[in-house]
Amino acid sequence: MKIIRQIGIIFTVCWLSLVIEKLLPFTFPASVIGMILLFLCLFTGVLKIEHIQEKADFLLGNMAFFFVPAGVSIMNYFDVLKHSIVQLVFVCIISTIITFAVTAWSVKLTLRLMKSRKPENLQSGGGEK
Amino acid sequence: MRELCSSPYFGIALSVLAFGIGVKLNEKLKTPVCNPLVIAIVLIVGVLLIFKIPYEDYNAGGKIINMFLAPATACLAVAIYTKIQILKQYWLPILVGCTAGSLASMGSVYGLCRLFGLDKSLTVSLLPKSVTTPIAVSISEPAGGVVPITVAAVIGTGILGGIFAPLLIKLFKVSDPVAAGLAIGASSHAVGTSKAIEIGEVEGAMSGLAIGICGIVTVIVSIFLV
Repeated sequence: MKIIRQIGIIFTVCWLSLVIEKLLPFTFPASVIGMILLFLCLFTGVLKIEHIQEKADFLLGNMAFFFVPAGVSIMNYFDVLKHSIVQLVFVCIISTIITFAVTAWSVKLTLRLMKSRKPENLQSGGGEK
Repeated sequence: MRELCSSPYFGIALSVLAFGIGVKLNEKLKTPVCNPLVIAIVLIVGVLLIFKIPYEDYNAGGKIINMFLAPATACLAVAIYTKIQILKQYWLPILVGCTAGSLASMGSVYGLCRLFGLDKSLTVSLLPKSVTTPIAVSISEPAGGVVPITVAAVIGTGILGGIFAPLLIKLFKVSDPVAAGLAIGASSHAVGTSKAIEIGEVEGAMSGLAIGICGIVTVIVSIFLV
């Protein structure tokens, strides 16, 4: 019964997020609405982590498996891929490096600014490392 | 025989078997190139092509597995919630890093696609490639992207990140574990995160947080873009 209740809770959140998706005046993916909704439920204490722990662990731990069918459908698009595979690979490689560098540098800069603004935070920040 | 393969049980059983083989191979070889998902996809496509089983037959079961994607995405909230302490402590660098990273990812993909002369549907398919697959698909699909290409780009990006993360950390001299973790998560989502966890605890936690936060940022940015 415990697992069934957890499935019930999570599927209810997903269904509610579909309702919200329909009501919103712009396109916002229901799965992300579900994520925000679930976070708010946990944050406000409406749901306790124990209420959904096992089911959430199951879904998060097997995330990659749920993509198998979506990945297999690539066999319907071999023609598109054949024409542009080289470009696609280059776009992926270059933009991954750019994203990594920009994120790392902006975080470094923010941390440095935080430390120079609030010297008392230095201790706690330094302790984390 | 045709009826037997079009039963949903066939697609589900084949998927579980292929993924199981992928996980086993990945444990044996321990390299990000042997991603269980990639192995499973290659095996299933191979089986379908060799035995001339139509994709639609396989997808009778595939649809049922697909149904779990939205709940799995929602559960990323649990992953964020369990790290609420670090989120509170580092909210500013996390927010700045994820926003800058998401913008850099989408901006560079857009620029490169224009440069290589890729058409609009391919550009939209690649645009959300740095975020985790369910979110990437939910951005690319309504905008007219080709879902399997998005999935392939997301997995490919993740694998690249997993392989090159240690090298990139050295190359860009990222000594701070917070910066390194967020950079891995922002550039290569969940596949990169499994590497970040190996590098260190702070890196792993930060990378995990970046998956969800970058997802939300990318969704918000794409509302204005597409």
